[in-house]
Amino acid sequence: MVQEISPLSGLFKNGAERLALLGKHHHALMKGYVDGFIDETAFSEQTLKKLIAARIVWRPDEQQPLMLRPLMSELIASMVADESRRQINADVAEKLEQIRNKVQAWRDAYYKGDYSIAERQMQRLTELVHDLSGQFEEAIDSLWHRLNNDFGFVSSLNEKINENARAQNQVRRLLDGLDLIVFQELIEFAENSSTLRKLLVSQLQLRVSLHHSSLLAVQQRLVDLMAKFRHQQSRTLLVTNMAAFLRQHPQYQPACYPERREVPSVFNIAASLSLQASIALDRPVDRQTMAEMLLAMPRVTVMPPSVPKSAGSVILPVDEEVAARQVALKMDVEDFYVFAAGQSGPVSALHYLTENHLNWDSEIWLYQVITEYQSLPLADKPRFWQRCDERQASPVNDLRIILDVSIGVRGK
Amino acid sequence: MLEYGPLIKRLLTGEFICHINDSDAYRHLQDDNTRQAIDNYLRILNYRIVSNETQTVYYVGFYEMNRDARSQLMNQFKDIISSLLPLLEWLQFMQETQGRESTLTAGDYIRSSEIMACVEDNQSLQQRLNQLSSDRFFNCKSDSIDLQLKQIFRRLKEHGYVRQPNAEQQIFIATGKIDYLIDVIRFIRDEEHLPVEDTPLVQQELL
Repeated sequence: MVQEISPLSGLFKNGAERLALLGKHHHALMKGYVDGFIDETAFSEQTLKKLIAARIVWRPDEQQPLMLRPLMSELIASMVADESRRQINADVAEKLEQIRNKVQAWRDAYYKGDYSIAERQMQRLTELVHDLSGQFEEAIDSLWHRLNNDFGFVSSLNEKINENARAQNQVRRLLDGLDLIVFQELIEFAENSSTLRKLLVSQLQLRVSLHHSSLLAVQQRLVDLMAKFRHQQSRTLLVTNMAAFLRQHPQYQPACYPERREVPSVFNIAASLSLQASIALDRPVDRQTMAEMLLAMPRVTVMPPSVPKSAGSVILPVDEEVAARQVALKMDVEDFYVFAAGQSGPVSALHYLTENHLNWDSEIWLYQVITEYQSLPLADKPRFWQRCDERQASPVNDLRIILDVSIGVRGK
Repeated sequence: MLEYGPLIKRLLTGEFICHINDSDAYRHLQDDNTRQAIDNYLRILNYRIVSNETQTVYYVGFYEMNRDARSQLMNQFKDIISSLLPLLEWLQFMQETQGRESTLTAGDYIRSSEIMACVEDNQSLQQRLNQLSSDRFFNCKSDSIDLQLKQIFRRLKEHGYVRQPNAEQQIFIATGKIDYLIDVIRFIRDEEHLPVEDTPLVQQELL
């Protein structure tokens, strides 16, 4: 084992140094990935040489600026799942060829008894098989990623449709690639070596069948998404073009579909009904509930009608109709006072009532006239005088009945 | 039947039921037996449950076409036709202000504040909003962007094209009635052979 480390140690040291370069210049290199070229002024002459020697950056031709090598870009794209630049490698044939060669190399070494070489070949073979499987895993991961954000890395619907079509082709190629893995052939390779059988047959077969079902699921989703994209595209165009058509033909009227024998269902819409319910007073069992509801109702504070700083009413307002009559009565009485104020002599309330064909009960009318007089503002009250024509109701008691009321204006 | 009472009431008041405004009710309506049961109930009113071609919305239509039904349908039809252009223009307006690649579809969110921000710094969008909101369908007489947007969304809500999950917030969700609208224009386009394309030119060439 000791003599094997010396050739590797140079490789190890070199590789480690070059990997360190990536870490040391991560900022400028990542900027190069985003911008598409490397800003040479960010590095010293020495560093640039090192980066070029490490095959991290290169100059595709004399006219071009320095750029990241494609493998570097791919590595970054895969690390950050940048779907706009991530590559899917669908080539399986080449990997299978390498596997075949390695199996042969291992077998040669093994039969020659070169066990340490055989062991190294086996290690490389294992890597190749994992590589093959990893290639599918990476591709499937990339495809799912694109699906899950709805191809969000491109902005327009057209681009999404193109990207989707591209992804569908990739899936097809990957599926074709899986078909190239013929297990009968691998079983023959393995012959009677249990290690090879385990690596090439049982492990790989399990992986391949997993990849196969994942790819079919991806394919289904891509097809569904494509249908959705196309549907969106068609709706959008329909809306745009129909709006344009209607704008150009403002008088356009389609055929009268409701008059057709078979009315198309898009136009078979019943006019909306307004559903209303009222309190049912005919069910005594509901009384308790209704009483509770009534109590729970917020109290309505009735705004006093906007009649002059009025007298109280003779009739207690019981409901709206009565209240309205009450207001009308007060208004008529006020009109009577206004009329009286304009007269030189006293005015009889009953006379006014009949003269103006007012439809009030005379008793109620008189009450309201008296109430109005008593509630006149203090400033106005002295301007009027009031006289009641009374008669004794009976000789045996002192009950007096008001027959009429006269209102007059005091002289100045 | 009792359990569908509230749903029947909503249908009778002219609501379009889709999976956005009531996913439970929509699921019930997708079931043939339930629809049959509700239809039986509606039969005495000469109504039945109708859905659009893509079955994204369910609503109430007439069972039998008598004179009364037809005259009612005629009124509805006139309303639909006169509302087409303002609604299509609203869809285009939404697409532009939201920076979307495609037309609004059921389930999409609309934030009034975002539209407002977008319109405020854009003279031509302001003009279009002004024109749109003053259309008879939206019927807004105000000059203020805020009030114009409020009135537009109020009308859309009344007609069931959007739903407002929270009355305190000016955030709306497009309902399945948008799909219905698209079905209507597609139907008219097909029936009347209007020169209104819905496939991109490139694809047609490829075909």
